[in-house]
Amino acid sequence: MKFLDRWIEQGSRDLAQRSSRRGLLKGLGGFLVGTASIPLLPVARASAAQGAGQPQEEGDPSSCDYWRYCAIDGFLCSCCGGSANTCPPGTEMSPVTWIGTCLNPADGRNYVISYNDCCGKSSCGACLCQRDEGDRPPYRPDKTNDINWCLGTTSAAYHCSTAIVVGVALEES
Amino acid sequence: MTRSGLVLALLSGAVLSSAAADDREYQQAQFDYQLHCQGCHTPDGSGADSVPRMKNEVGVFLQSKAGREYLVRVPGSATSALNDKRLASVLNWMVREFAGDSVTGEFQPYSSAEVSELRQQPLNEVDKYRAELLQALTGATGRKQ
Repeated sequence: MKFLDRWIEQGSRDLAQRSSRRGLLKGLGGFLVGTASIPLLPVARASAAQGAGQPQEEGDPSSCDYWRYCAIDGFLCSCCGGSANTCPPGTEMSPVTWIGTCLNPADGRNYVISYNDCCGKSSCGACLCQRDEGDRPPYRPDKTNDINWCLGTTSAAYHCSTAIVVGVALEES
Repeated sequence: MTRSGLVLALLSGAVLSSAAADDREYQQAQFDYQLHCQGCHTPDGSGADSVPRMKNEVGVFLQSKAGREYLVRVPGSATSALNDKRLASVLNWMVREFAGDSVTGEFQPYSSAEVSELRQQPLNEVDKYRAELLQALTGATGRKQ
């Protein structure tokens, strides 16, 4: 114990000789300002911007109420062996699709949603949802969900619908 | 602040605000493409099945007057829900983003006035018109479609 006592005392005296109270304040101040300014660096902004493309999520993708389904009309792939982003095995995602925006309640922002249909098998039959927000009559074909969007696929048989986030909507200035 | 310093500050302010306006126009055009075009033309302009490919191809149309006009008169453009300014902007965006080396020479951007006039005559027999147009262009440029 005597060794420990001597060691601590020696260390304290050395420290007291080499440093001052102002030096401590300077170091501590620098540390506080330095750490506070880290979020201002470009690297922090870049990671925040990246996060903007991947929205915060809440809700159940197997429910019609899920935020991304605001304009859906069809069977949810989430209930058919796929997910809100992917097709069930044995089906092919149509590259041609219809696109709208939905408000994400988790962060209050609007996102661009692509309702790619999964094709090549007969109708899934589970979780039929029809919300139709922003749906337009067929004379506005790029904004209607009443037509079969299995276009550009080998089979035109409709199975289910996905709802993929493809971007952040631009807010009106 | 000296007078030259003030001028410099004002100039850099003007440059910055015009850059911000360009940025806003780019974002607006990109968003308009997503909402009004991308569903069929696909995110990178590759197209699918009967949807024509724009990627590395669309600039070919700019080599003739009729071709340049075609890009506005095609129903997807002419009858879109976009106003003249935003349609011109999204067309310019598409050429810059997708045309690649299919543009020869310097691209003269579409103006609102040009788009406004051309979209008054939307095309009806699009497939036939397009095929004839490309045949004429291929004959003139030797580029394979």
